[in-house]
Amino acid sequence: MPVAIRFALLAAAVLIAALLSLTIGQRSDVGIGNVLQLLFVDDGSLARSAVVDLRLPRTLIAGLIGINLGLAGLALQAVTRNPLASESVLGINQGAALGVALALVFPALMIGNLDTMAIIGAVLAGAVTFGIAGGLGGRLDSMRLILAGVTVGAFSFAFVRFTFTLEDNLSRLVLSWTSADISAARFDQALPLVFWAAGGLTVSTFMAHSFNILALGDGASQGLGVDPRRMRFIGAMLAAVLTGASVAAAGPVMFVGLVIPHLCRLWFGSNHRLLVPAVALGGAGLVLSADVVSKLVRFPYETPLGVICALIGAPYFLYATLRARHMA
Amino acid sequence: MFNRTILATLAGVIMLAVAPLAQAVEIKHDLGTTEVPDEPKRIVVLEYSFVDSLAAVGVAPVGIADDDTRESIVPAYTAVIGDDWKSVGTRKSPSLEVIASLQPDLIIADTSRHEAIYGALSEIAPTIAFDSLTGTYQVALEAAKTIAHAVGKDAEMEARLAEHTTKMEGFKAAIGDVSAWSAQFIVDNGEGIFLHSPVSYNGSLLSWFGFKNNMTTPDGHTYEEAIVKTSLEQLSEINPQVIIRGKYADPGLTDSWVGQPLYDNVEAVKTGNLFDVNAHEWSRLRGVIASEVSGANLVEIVKNLKK
Amino acid sequence: MSAVVHAPARPRSRLRGLVLIAVLAVLVIAAALWSLSVGAVPIPTQTIINTLFNLDGEQQTYIIMKSRLPRMVLALLAGAALALSGAIIQAVIRNPLASPNIIGINSGAALFALVLVLVFPDIPQVWMPLAACIGGLVAAAFVMVVAHYRNLSAIHLALIGVAVGFVFEAGVDYLLIVSNDSESSAPMIWLTGSLWGRTWAHVAVSWLPLVVLSAVALLLSYRLDLIALGEATATGIGLNVPRQRLLLLLVATLLASVSVAVVGVMGFIGLMAPHIARRLVGGSHRLMLPVAALVGMLLVVLADGIGRAIAPPIEVSAGILAALIGAPFFIYIMLTTTSEQDS
Repeated sequence: MPVAIRFALLAAAVLIAALLSLTIGQRSDVGIGNVLQLLFVDDGSLARSAVVDLRLPRTLIAGLIGINLGLAGLALQAVTRNPLASESVLGINQGAALGVALALVFPALMIGNLDTMAIIGAVLAGAVTFGIAGGLGGRLDSMRLILAGVTVGAFSFAFVRFTFTLEDNLSRLVLSWTSADISAARFDQALPLVFWAAGGLTVSTFMAHSFNILALGDGASQGLGVDPRRMRFIGAMLAAVLTGASVAAAGPVMFVGLVIPHLCRLWFGSNHRLLVPAVALGGAGLVLSADVVSKLVRFPYETPLGVICALIGAPYFLYATLRARHMA
Repeated sequence: MFNRTILATLAGVIMLAVAPLAQAVEIKHDLGTTEVPDEPKRIVVLEYSFVDSLAAVGVAPVGIADDDTRESIVPAYTAVIGDDWKSVGTRKSPSLEVIASLQPDLIIADTSRHEAIYGALSEIAPTIAFDSLTGTYQVALEAAKTIAHAVGKDAEMEARLAEHTTKMEGFKAAIGDVSAWSAQFIVDNGEGIFLHSPVSYNGSLLSWFGFKNNMTTPDGHTYEEAIVKTSLEQLSEINPQVIIRGKYADPGLTDSWVGQPLYDNVEAVKTGNLFDVNAHEWSRLRGVIASEVSGANLVEIVKNLKK
Repeated sequence: MSAVVHAPARPRSRLRGLVLIAVLAVLVIAAALWSLSVGAVPIPTQTIINTLFNLDGEQQTYIIMKSRLPRMVLALLAGAALALSGAIIQAVIRNPLASPNIIGINSGAALFALVLVLVFPDIPQVWMPLAACIGGLVAAAFVMVVAHYRNLSAIHLALIGVAVGFVFEAGVDYLLIVSNDSESSAPMIWLTGSLWGRTWAHVAVSWLPLVVLSAVALLLSYRLDLIALGEATATGIGLNVPRQRLLLLLVATLLASVSVAVVGVMGFIGLMAPHIARRLVGGSHRLMLPVAALVGMLLVVLADGIGRAIAPPIEVSAGILAALIGAPFFIYIMLTTTSEQDS
């Protein structure tokens, strides 16, 4: 199948998922028949408001965090040369949740607001994981990286769960944050994500060539004029910023950064020039589909996005490890 | 110290001597049947609604699981039970050591919250358990009666319940016929809103007063169905005519929705029939006294209803 | 890729090891006695002695004999079991970051316990430990069967274990969400690894398997030394490495599952205690295993005591505190042993 057709198919899937995400919801006066009309024609009805004021920002956020997390995962996998690296496997998402839980339990620790705490938590967890695994500069042992990430993630979640044993309202606050509930999403949360996604896409596109060279190994890339240390730092920072921005907008959404680059590599090969746009589309498609599922699983009640993504992503991770023939 | 030791020993000896004489009461409760000594004096309660039941018959507990917040035991209770009780920690994980140090002769626990430590509690003192967390108004009244029986205050509870019925019927009369109105109690904690469904305590209380509820009645009867996290879109679909709101955070999530057509067009918001109540009193306190507070609130709310 | 030191134990270092074991044992006893004296209710030493030896004078029978003493016993048993389990798994997987967590035990146990309490509320919660134990075994069995059947490398086995852990974790998160709130406190507290509410009943069901399994683990420690020589060498001296690996993992899994069943998810003892032990006595497992067990006991007993005393009447889970006590040390070890890796 020519590459152009594959991209067209992927784009079509994203559009369908977005349309479904806009169509499905609790209000019975929005259907597949009138959703487009409601979206583009302001008839002043409540159905129009439901589509434009509630569902559109939510759909946008779902799509945009899909792009951000997919690209973050791609960058992490490229710079660690490890197909299993991603925000959730490296403990970055869990670190963000820990930041939020700490701020809610000990208000004195709060720096800025909860968004800032999430980003601080994400960056610190990532730094500890990379530090344990051998640092950004030194030799990065890929198995050690994953085990360090799992350890950092498990430690973060142990504390997050401890908050569930405290007061009822506190545990509800922590839970709604850590399960990435986007049912109350608003436009002002979606707008910064547009900026981050555009930036992420631009930087990733520029780095695609270097990512390709990095895949040849540290020695080879040095010979070809790509400094692996510098690339590793830029790639890790890109991933941290994109993850942090997504966590701040939606909460920790698990496994998107693992599943999508992996699937895209199967379909588009390992050339990052193709992978960057493919991962962006695929990430958006996956999170949008997860959003649709999150509305349907217990209709009319919603199940937070983070939980749905984990239920999709974790079995895929297991599948990927079972399939893998050679381990790094 | 020495004196106290002698006193404690003496008390122990006296108790041992008296024990066979005292009539034990058999209490059937959610986790079995337990023999409770006649007229227990040192009672530890692990949910707010049991404080309510004791206060209703003028008995003061020695220990309360108050979530480490003394103010959570509101003046309506402290007016009766005084301030001479000790916090035994959170309702979720009360301190067994503190409970034991109070040397209770009766512990009242919540069925679902404390089932796993029922054995440990029973080693400290006879323990009876009732469904406070997920029970309805009727369940709370039944539990109150059983608790009164356990502490040997049947007559007092009967009198108090008669007074309660009179009061509640009075509120009901003052409220009048509201069967045309759908009312919904919601909790807003800043990150989310939670609807108390018709099978919850507050839902059942509202329907006792004759309000309708637009939520689809879930079958079964578990906590997740009693208290439902919801979105603005779902709220707009349920579209209650009266919203009674308890806010744990200020500003709440609902405040951030002001100006959104979907929120402004929710029947209750549009007509100005959104009323704030004390979130703690409504969502956590249950029982004879708590329902009278809620009833009085409702009378005020109905007075201000914009029809 | 392990940080195991292969040098055989020389007489001098063996003597040093024995002295260290004696010192640690004294420390464990001291910490255990100290843990009897701390809690939400302050109790004078004289009263504690009166109660323990049933002397005349004031006694606090419930708090000392029925609460703190069984908790102390469980802390010692679970601490040793988790540390031994972790030491075995690290040696078998040949990776210093492996732990019982790595083969999915904790997550499997957590999911089964939650399913029991939240999906089948009619089943009494006394069955929760059993459900947890089964869950841990199911997760670990899956990992081991796959690894054995497909003859996977130790590293690949660890990865599959991590993945199985994630799958079970996703299930736990889903259950936590659909139950809307922690309907019941017990599974929540248990998820963080706590000795809250533990009584002699828990000791009664767990002491025999834990003692027997710990003894087996210590007896098998020489095989760990053989495996540490590397797969080729071990096979060369007549060891059936895959079978030994399976046997050792089975012991480790049982140790961890039984402890998880009684004290909950205490994920970091099995990771940290072997590291601390290795720092103290080197990599020879005959010496390292008993030291790790003592370190594990010390960590859990201290954590439980501090957790009771730190913010009474609220208890901080021993699992959290053990992690907090051990984490800085662990991170320090990890940051300084990067270069020691081989393979």
